[in-house]
Amino acid sequence: MLLDPTFLAIQFLNGLQLASLLFLLAVGLSVVFGLMGFINLAHGTLYMIGAYIGLSVARSTGSFWLALVAAPVAVALLGMVFHVVLLRHMQAASPMKQVLVTFGLIFVGLDSVRYIWGNYSHGIDLPAVLAGGVSVLGETYPIYRLFIIGLGLAVLAALHWGLERTRLGALVRAGVDDRETAAALGIDVGLAFFAVFCLGCALAGLAGVVAAPVLSVYPGMDMSVLILTLIVVVIGGPGSLKGAALGALVIGMAQTFGQVLVPALASVMIYAVMAAVLLARPGGLVRARHG
Amino acid sequence: MRILFGLALALIAGLPAPAGAGDPIRIGVVLPFSGVYAALGGDITDGMMLAFETFGDTVAGRRIELIREDSEVKPSVGLTKTKKLVYQDQVDLLVGPVASNVAGAMRDFVHNAEIPLIVPNAGNNLLTGERCSPWVIRTSFSNDQINRGMGGWLFDKGYRSLYLLAADYAAGHQMMAAVKRSFTAAGGAIVGEEYPPLRETKDFAPYLAKIKAAKPDAMYVFFAGGPAIQFVKQVHDFGLKKEIALTGAGWLTSPLFLPAEGAAAVGFTGALNYVPSIDSDENRQFQNAFQEKHGRVGSEFTVQGYDTARLIVEALEITGGATDDKAALVAAMHQVSFTGPRGPLRIDPATNNVIQDIYVFETRQVGYAVKQVVIDKMEAVQDPPNGCRMEVGRG
Amino acid sequence: MTDLAQDRLRLAVAAVMAAAALLWWATAGFFGHELIAQVAIFAIFAMSLDLLVGTAGMVSLGHAAFFGAGAYATAGLTVLLGWPAWLALPASMVVAGLLAVVVGAFAVRLAGVFFIMITLAIGEMVHAYLFRSRTFGGDDGLGGIPRPDLGALGLTLDDPSHFSLAVLTLALLVYLGLRQVVGSPFGQVLAGIHRNEARMRALGCPVRHYKLAAFTLAGAIAGLAGSLAAQHNNFISPELVTWTTSGEALIVVIVGGMGTLVGPVAGAAAVILAGHYLSGLTEYWMFFMGLMFVAVVLIAGDGLQGALERLARRFGRAAG
Repeated sequence: MLLDPTFLAIQFLNGLQLASLLFLLAVGLSVVFGLMGFINLAHGTLYMIGAYIGLSVARSTGSFWLALVAAPVAVALLGMVFHVVLLRHMQAASPMKQVLVTFGLIFVGLDSVRYIWGNYSHGIDLPAVLAGGVSVLGETYPIYRLFIIGLGLAVLAALHWGLERTRLGALVRAGVDDRETAAALGIDVGLAFFAVFCLGCALAGLAGVVAAPVLSVYPGMDMSVLILTLIVVVIGGPGSLKGAALGALVIGMAQTFGQVLVPALASVMIYAVMAAVLLARPGGLVRARHG
Repeated sequence: MRILFGLALALIAGLPAPAGAGDPIRIGVVLPFSGVYAALGGDITDGMMLAFETFGDTVAGRRIELIREDSEVKPSVGLTKTKKLVYQDQVDLLVGPVASNVAGAMRDFVHNAEIPLIVPNAGNNLLTGERCSPWVIRTSFSNDQINRGMGGWLFDKGYRSLYLLAADYAAGHQMMAAVKRSFTAAGGAIVGEEYPPLRETKDFAPYLAKIKAAKPDAMYVFFAGGPAIQFVKQVHDFGLKKEIALTGAGWLTSPLFLPAEGAAAVGFTGALNYVPSIDSDENRQFQNAFQEKHGRVGSEFTVQGYDTARLIVEALEITGGATDDKAALVAAMHQVSFTGPRGPLRIDPATNNVIQDIYVFETRQVGYAVKQVVIDKMEAVQDPPNGCRMEVGRG
Repeated sequence: MTDLAQDRLRLAVAAVMAAAALLWWATAGFFGHELIAQVAIFAIFAMSLDLLVGTAGMVSLGHAAFFGAGAYATAGLTVLLGWPAWLALPASMVVAGLLAVVVGAFAVRLAGVFFIMITLAIGEMVHAYLFRSRTFGGDDGLGGIPRPDLGALGLTLDDPSHFSLAVLTLALLVYLGLRQVVGSPFGQVLAGIHRNEARMRALGCPVRHYKLAAFTLAGAIAGLAGSLAAQHNNFISPELVTWTTSGEALIVVIVGGMGTLVGPVAGAAAVILAGHYLSGLTEYWMFFMGLMFVAVVLIAGDGLQGALERLARRFGRAAG
């Protein structure tokens, strides 16, 4: 059974779907970290808030598509406010202060969500076009999962284009490469950071609303992805788009095939993979910083 | 150790005068009120409050007073809060907790302190089995009690092979063991079993593909909370129910999770100690009162809280409101029996676990709503002693 | 403020806190003694982490593994093997220290965020093992852990007041011991590595050996705290070993003030007591806890002790 090609193909798609979600979550965190060394532990909170805003929009308008657009925009705005009010003053602070502030924001975010949306779990219904399944090698596979894979690939392509072909992309690349030199050359690293931070927030919000129909919406969903996202960032090598994609792929596959092939080690698989990667390549799979 | 505990309690008990007619009866409540499990703590507390409104919050001139503490679902925190309630607030009895690991941490302390603890959820078999205590009374269920009958029931319905799937922790293993035992005893075969990690698993798809390949007649599962919703939706998305019957411990489609699961939950067959659709006057009265007050359906957790409070009120009426003699209070609880929303109920003096009906239900689309519809009932399900020997004063 | 003045200020703060703890102990009831023991145990745990984070600059998110190792070793040795508790206490420190040697041998090869994540990974692997371990009761945990019988010294540790006094004394000893370590040549080298690792390496300093030694010592002291926690609760469960326990300790260290030793003690008291009282007031107590963390950074900057030292500097300048 385990070597049956259909079975393996289905599991591969499952791994790809998880990788796609993890990529959406990790890429913003990774580039922000690479750019400014800024550790945002509240990234999972943005994911949770994205899911809840998506829930409210989908409930009130009846449109999943609207939720898919509104949630990332709303979370990006929220990120913007936080940046202006709080994080702007934290950029130069020691990493440990950033840890404490963003850890505090996890608590604030969780209780705010409980206060606004209550303690109960919710689901988001899919539009007819995405509900149901298609046949993959004779097995039913949910269309929505293929949609998630497609969305992940589309975001990856768009970010790649943006990074290579736009002025902002050039700023970001210069900033990640060598912050000091870039600043000396008159490049506004702070502005690049702000833009990337907001984009990262939007993508976390997008991940939240995309995950909601599969993983549901509940208080505590933030912590369920935080560690996984951090692992993806670190395995891939912080500051790199390619790294985030590669890290997401490695963890998505390790998690999926680990559960199937070595169930006894399912709970430690991703940690073991991370430990192995870090010991073999202490800077992560992709080295972003050259300077 | 025991002598010291006695001494400590004699000291604190000696400070205030013995409880008189006017003093309030203090009940310490240790439940999760913050974080991820707040919904369960809230449901149980709401149920208790409704029962005190319904059956009286004053016994023999003494008002019943609740002191709530947040367990955070952490054993060490639950234990600290328990000590606070006993030492500082000097409660007469305790109610809690939700989670079995917290119950494990509290058990030795209340046993040595000889303070009655009424457990309104935590289902670990050991708590009313090998690690039972004269001071620990459970009004909810044991993991074994819910699932034990289902092996035989499923076999009688024609299922011959079963695939087991449950979260990898004590409750998951205990529930699956109960089904496994009764299903194989009836002559059925277990063709596979998997225990996904408790918190790490969010995507069940890898397991679903494996179950599909094993081609069992039915899968029997236990999940609750977020994972329950995820599992139900994913089973539905993969179209698994067309080939394999979905059965399991009834929390999978609890009223707490059903709104999020929606139509994906249709077709599940489960066993539980309570579902809101039970056809009885007691249940209708309860649901009407609860829904009027809170605007939502009362869950099995609510009913466990409700029955817990009723047990306390009725036991206090037997003792005439006296709480100083804890042994008499526990003895009174053994005498209480009533028919509540979930049917006839009493505490088994041999184990201190509840004796109750277990319902087999199917989750169906009824009009616009998805409901758990009762299809069968196992009456007065009572746990065997499971190694429980009630000995007063043994740690 | 000179280094000497700063050191004196820290010692003075430690003395004031010790006096306050004793006063509280003398007036506390049964539950007060329980809280004192809890704060003192967490303070020991936080001080051990401060040696790593504050002095050596090694931010660990897996320190609970050694706290847990101490607790589980105590449970295993007393409940399962029948050792006396007074012997299990030092033995638990050895077990935790040995685990730290093994873990550290891998972990000290990494730095920065990679060190954070590998300690997290190893911590979670230890948690996963204990969560599934039948021997140690799995996720249900294990009860019946005894406290040492110190009847010969006239102490009955099952009495909360005696136990809390014993734990307070140990916390004070750990503080004085770690103060010596930080002030010693060994501590100076660690501080040098923290400031500029490349320079220390260029000077021919075996950086990894020093880091491993610090990691081991911190692990052993965390093991002591774990052993005391097991005795305090008479119970252990995998909860002790989760990354959130490590996270809490890190928070306590940052709130109190990294690299000050007295700061983390104040941080332990502040965080535990605030959590205890806030949770009795509102079910949204985590919201206010979170705000408190943000406020500490915005107002106090380098934690409670850091703010005090800044105030002292300003006052010193004004006076001078």
